[in-house]
Amino acid sequence: MDGATDMTTRPFIEVSEVWVPEGDRLVLSKGTYGDLAEFASVSERESFARGEGLPGKAWDEGRPVVLKEFDGSYFKRTEAAKAAGLTAAVAIPVFAGTQLKAVLVTLCSDDDSRMGAIEVWSGEGNMLTLEDGYYGAAKQFEFVSQHVHFQRGQGLPGGVWGANTPLLFRDLGAGYKFVRSESAGRAGLTWGLGLPLPSPTGRPYVLTLLTATGTPLARRFEIWDARAARVGTANEAVLIDGICAREGSLYDHDTERRIKAFQGPIGQVLGTGLPVVDASAAGQHGYRTLVALPIHSSREVTHVVAWYC
Amino acid sequence: MKKLVVIGAGMASGRMLEHLFDADPAAYEVTLFNAEPRGNYNRLMLSPVLSGEKTYEEIVTHDEAWYADHKVTCRFGEKVTGIDRDRKVVIGEKGEVAYDKLVIATGSNPFIIPLPGHDLEGVIAYRDLEDTNRMIDLGAQPDAKAVVIGGGLLGLEAAAGLRLRGVDVTVVHIMGHLMERQLDEAAGYLLRKSLTEKGIKVMCKANSKEILGEDGKVRALLLDDGTELPCDLLVMAVGIRPSTALASEAGLAVGKGVHVDDQMVTSDADILSLGECVEHNGAIFGLVAPLYDQAKVLANTLLGKPDTFVNKEVSTKLKVTGCDLFSAGDFAEGETREDIVFRDPARGVYKRLVLEGNRIVGAVMYGDTADGAWFYSHIKDATDVAEMRDTLIFGPAFQGGGTADPLAAVAALPDDAEICGCNGVCKGTIVDAIKGGAGDLPSLKAQTKASGSCGTCTGLVEQLLELTLGDSYAAPAAQPICACCDLTHEDVRRLIKSKELKSQPAVWQELGWKTPNGCHVCRPAVNFYLLADWPLEYQDDLQSRFVNERKHANIQKDGTFSVMPRMWGGITTPDELRAIADAADKFKVPTVKVTGGQRIDLLGVKGEDLPAIWADLNRAGMVSGHAYSKGLRTVKTCVGTDHCRFGTQDSTGLGIKLEKLLWGSWTPHKVKLGVSGCPRNCAEATCKDVGIVCVDSGYQVGVAGAAGMDVKETERLADATTEEEAIELTTAFIQLYRENAKYLDRPYKWVAKVGLDWVKERVVDDLDSRRALVERFEISQSVYRKDPWADHVENERKRYAPLADLTLEAAE
Amino acid sequence: MSWIDIGSIEDIPLRGARVVKTPRGCIAVFRTGLQEAYAVSDTCPHKGGPLSDGIVHDRKVTCPLHNWVFSLETGQAQGADEGAIETFPLKVDGGRILLDGTSVGNKSAA
Repeated sequence: MDGATDMTTRPFIEVSEVWVPEGDRLVLSKGTYGDLAEFASVSERESFARGEGLPGKAWDEGRPVVLKEFDGSYFKRTEAAKAAGLTAAVAIPVFAGTQLKAVLVTLCSDDDSRMGAIEVWSGEGNMLTLEDGYYGAAKQFEFVSQHVHFQRGQGLPGGVWGANTPLLFRDLGAGYKFVRSESAGRAGLTWGLGLPLPSPTGRPYVLTLLTATGTPLARRFEIWDARAARVGTANEAVLIDGICAREGSLYDHDTERRIKAFQGPIGQVLGTGLPVVDASAAGQHGYRTLVALPIHSSREVTHVVAWYC
Repeated sequence: MKKLVVIGAGMASGRMLEHLFDADPAAYEVTLFNAEPRGNYNRLMLSPVLSGEKTYEEIVTHDEAWYADHKVTCRFGEKVTGIDRDRKVVIGEKGEVAYDKLVIATGSNPFIIPLPGHDLEGVIAYRDLEDTNRMIDLGAQPDAKAVVIGGGLLGLEAAAGLRLRGVDVTVVHIMGHLMERQLDEAAGYLLRKSLTEKGIKVMCKANSKEILGEDGKVRALLLDDGTELPCDLLVMAVGIRPSTALASEAGLAVGKGVHVDDQMVTSDADILSLGECVEHNGAIFGLVAPLYDQAKVLANTLLGKPDTFVNKEVSTKLKVTGCDLFSAGDFAEGETREDIVFRDPARGVYKRLVLEGNRIVGAVMYGDTADGAWFYSHIKDATDVAEMRDTLIFGPAFQGGGTADPLAAVAALPDDAEICGCNGVCKGTIVDAIKGGAGDLPSLKAQTKASGSCGTCTGLVEQLLELTLGDSYAAPAAQPICACCDLTHEDVRRLIKSKELKSQPAVWQELGWKTPNGCHVCRPAVNFYLLADWPLEYQDDLQSRFVNERKHANIQKDGTFSVMPRMWGGITTPDELRAIADAADKFKVPTVKVTGGQRIDLLGVKGEDLPAIWADLNRAGMVSGHAYSKGLRTVKTCVGTDHCRFGTQDSTGLGIKLEKLLWGSWTPHKVKLGVSGCPRNCAEATCKDVGIVCVDSGYQVGVAGAAGMDVKETERLADATTEEEAIELTTAFIQLYRENAKYLDRPYKWVAKVGLDWVKERVVDDLDSRRALVERFEISQSVYRKDPWADHVENERKRYAPLADLTLEAAE
Repeated sequence: MSWIDIGSIEDIPLRGARVVKTPRGCIAVFRTGLQEAYAVSDTCPHKGGPLSDGIVHDRKVTCPLHNWVFSLETGQAQGADEGAIETFPLKVDGGRILLDGTSVGNKSAA
């Protein structure tokens, strides 16, 4: 790896990509690669059939997939990933009913200091268990999560499952004392975003992104509610919760923040129904990269969640 | 400074102090007592803190710094033990403090059902941060169980929060369905279903009998049917009672709550009260909106300003993520009432409106609350909904007007789509500039030139800003004239009239201009506004005019000018034509062109030759055609009864009369007229600023047409029976336009802003107003109806020549 | 410097300009105050517009063709436009305008 780089400034998520179906293959629509220009150019030339590679697997199996060992796996860009120092990847398929809209892929790299978590939980019966997750250096937290389960309504993953809506938790370590909190506190994890991932298999999936102040996965989270039940017939979304390292709490009881389709990056997600990754910093409240993900029902985009780094 | 003591630092008193300090920070010296050891925080947001969706720090409304800034003496964690009204002193645990005015804001106490065992360890209410932390701590215990008595707003929020913390929760409610004060049975059923999906157990029609304990600590709740619900914590959320002990001990009038009048004053003139502890006209309060109204009234009363508290309708929202619920008004059933119900079982949606007479009196919604606010406003306004009955339940969208995505069209444009036609700027260039930091219209104009010329594309450019920046960009509501000031054109026009500003220095000074004498944008506008409003007192300033109007000729791209003499009504004579031809020869004019305005243009005249060519044309009896001005340009005519077999009136004659009347006046933007002899409209009068179509019965006067960037047909102003009337209407309209429009707005833009009805009221309907307008126009014309060419030839001639010619000397 | 008297300041309208023909080309003399004036090139570097026909404000002038704004003190274009016009030494003495002859190419020097 690049030993000379200052580890504390490398982002937890190094690469974010949006793959969209074109005909019967997935092609790259947009990606943010930071300084990894070589990996970027390799990716631009790549495409995946259904079931092929990591994005293709997520598409085919209708569920999010975590991959932490590229060598000898179905991962296609292994050489380029190694050269770039990337060691783990998470593929998040975005389905509207049974139709695949896009696959969001995030890639991370291992080191001794970056704490954070990207977890995939799946439900069976009355229990939600960890399918897999990437934890950076938060090994103990990883261990605890592997040995815990949540019921409907319990904790962040269970709460998202029970309400079928994204949730943003503060204070994972200090105030939030359920089961994993002690190890979360030691890992310095502060905020957690949980979102439901609809799957054509019918099985409930929940994605959680947990971030630590020192090595943040993201410095700003936003949850936008776009349901007709909330905004009426207009194609708009209302900010229902958010937190930012600079601005603090984003939710204001008195003033409603509303966005129209195509208005800024969030509006873009709302209008196209596709995830957006952007490194242009325009409309990003002073941050470098933005990833915004839509959550669909079979009828509409119900929510847009965004994380900024 | 008078002394104000406030007992209770809750949301009501907090809001009241905000109003007080905003209005007059020096009115009172404030001492604030709070039994809780902290300042004001948003108590409504305790539930998200309980669930983990917020931290306490995020919900604090007034922190230490705020109290320090407003010099409030804070006595937090100290109880008030008594009020001595004779000595006007408040007695706290740590000492006394005197008051000139006292505000009691002691809030309410949670009601604890006096069941056996209610005083066991582990039985709590849900009121403050301590209760909340107690519940949060329960989550740390593995396999913790809790029972919540009370299936109202507060009890359900407690249950939801506890569940998110991992606790096994059961809600026990005595009534048949949850939240029976705000919901009917159907909505209550859906709410219960949603809570069950979160793993919360709900028991309705369950009556609590006894709280069982072990070693002084709670272990279970016993219901009267024998069921035992084991629990480590029991939360009582069954209601609140106004906290009136302090007030009644002090001898104030107290009923269910502390009695206050419409000004929030108690039975003691120096003691006021607000919040959950008061009773006003028999009502007590549990929701926050009326308390904020009370806070405003009380603050005004303290400042001696008259105000009255009126108890209004409120709506309810449940703060449980994933439960969308809305309730407002009164939805009890009644003989005179009827219901409109909508259900969508697949989506779990239930909506019910209760109507009495033709008005909505109550609304309950579960699952789809998007229209809540709209129904609520109809309840408050007691709107007659008879017309909307059939589609009422579907909300505002069905009452007309769908919504398309306003930004979708611009989003779909490719990067090379041309946005600004005048300067050839495409979408990609603009978006790149925005991403590069040009975050508003002025900076985009400066960097890309987009929107810098005619301004038609401004709307599109603003959409691109919204597209790229999202909601961090908000199109400014009203654009100031330019960077020299903060006022809009409309503001400046109004102020010039109301403050009687009659000179440029008066405007710069009185309206706070940021520059010594304006700029090329605002000075021409201000110059026009001054001469339009004060034609006799203000002298037109040539140096505030764009070069065309200063030199009375149109500047061309190579710095030469175009010269266009008037041809009244498009009628000329052989002598005039000869004079034009001679001038073209003498001054070697490169191009002679016939214009759409029915006259002849001499293009390419050198600046220094202007006075000479004018003098020649003047000698032939011709005057300036004002082809360059913001004034009357032309009156196009077709031949009427003079020659044409279809002519109904003398359109040419009328056109010439109008041109001779109106020429020379300055207007907000150019004015073009047309008079057609019959409805065949050969003069194209129906796309002019004022267009008259002659008919057998008289003259149809139309206004606000356009045939430039926008094409628009005229709208009928009035029908005149005589030529005099047609002229009068036209003159009055133009004067109204001169006195009111924004500089550079053509009449059609101005009429769109003010509305044709407004114009008609002043020009057509009100005869006095019409005559006054005509009179004022004539006063203005007494100054301006003259040939500028002749004026310049006589007075300004030398200014067209160079000041000095140093090339002659060098030749020696 | 060789000062040439080119006329009275009253010959120029306040916030207006007059042109002076010189061996170096046309110069515009702007009167920005009762006894204050500036001399600059009359030709706009953008597309050759006559600056003497532009609106004068404070100590700046706006080109009448495409609204480029120039400082009469430094000759620099303002705002986002890049370019400059030449400035010439000038002083107002007892109501008379004196222009520096050598800078405008005048051979009859003292």
